[in-house]
Amino acid sequence: MLWKDNYELGVPQIDAQHKELFRRVESFLQVLRSEDSWEKKLPKLNETLEFMKKYVVEHFHDEEEYQKSINYPGYEAHKQRHMGMVGYVQEVSRKYEQSNYDENLMQEFGGRLLSWLINHVAAEDQLIADYAKKRG
Amino acid sequence: MVHKLYRDFVDATQKVFNLMLNISDVSEHPSEDFKCDDEVDIVVGVVGDLQGKIVYRFPVSTSLNMVNIMSGMEFNAVDVFVASAISEIANIISGNVMTTLSDSKIQCDILPPEQYKLDANDNKKYEIATNCCICTIIGKICLEIRLNRAS
Repeated sequence: MLWKDNYELGVPQIDAQHKELFRRVESFLQVLRSEDSWEKKLPKLNETLEFMKKYVVEHFHDEEEYQKSINYPGYEAHKQRHMGMVGYVQEVSRKYEQSNYDENLMQEFGGRLLSWLINHVAAEDQLIADYAKKRG
Repeated sequence: MVHKLYRDFVDATQKVFNLMLNISDVSEHPSEDFKCDDEVDIVVGVVGDLQGKIVYRFPVSTSLNMVNIMSGMEFNAVDVFVASAISEIANIISGNVMTTLSDSKIQCDILPPEQYKLDANDNKKYEIATNCCICTIIGKICLEIRLNRAS
C-alpha cells in the first residue's frame, strides 16, 4: 500500500482527498509497471493522467483554502509548490501527447510523481497539521 | 561554512529518510567508507550566493530499496522510473538545504537534477569541497558538495 496512516493530517476533507490521490497513483503505478504491452496499458494510463490533471488542481485548491482558513504562515510557499507540480503535470501531459504517448516520458513522470507525492504529504503537508494543532 | 553545509546536508538527508521511508537509523561516516562500483549518480546544480553542484551517489541496491519502500512494489533494476524517483529525492534533499540556507540569509536556487557521469579527470577547484557517507539499514549514500561563493 502506498498510503500510510501516519500521513493523516486530522482534517477529514483533506485526508479523504489524499487517500483518493494515493489510491489513484497506486493504481496508475501498478498499470505503468505491469508486464502488459504498452498498447494495452495506454487506455488506463491516459485515463488516470486526465484524472490527475483535474483532481490535483481541485485538491490543491481545497488544501489552500484550508490553509487560508487557519492563517497558515507557509501558505504562499506551499502554494508555489502546488503550482510547480501542476505546471509539471501539464507540461508532461503536453509532451506525452506530442510524442504520441512515449513510454519513457510516462515512466519518468511516474518515478518523480511517486517521490514528490510522498514527500509532499509526509513532510510538507504535515507542517500544516503541526501548525493547526499548535493553534488549537 | 564547510561544516555548516556538511551538517545541513546530513540533517536534510536524515529527515528525508525518516519522513519518506520511515527509516530513523541513519548515521554519517567518513567518505572513505563509501565503496561502490555500481551506482546511480545524480547531480543537482546550485546557483546564487553559492555556485556549484551537489553529487548524490546512490548504489544500485540502495536506489532499488528506496523505490521498493516508497512504492510497495518490487523493482529489480534501475530504469527510467527508478532514476527519476531517485533524482526527485536528490532534488528534495537539496531543496530542503536551500530553505535552511535562506534562513541564514544565503540565497541559492537549485537546477533540475540530472544523471551524472563521474569524471575522474574533473579537477576543478572548489572553495567548499567536502564529502560524506550516509549509512542506513537499506544501504549507503555518498554526497559530494562542491561549491564556490559567488564573487
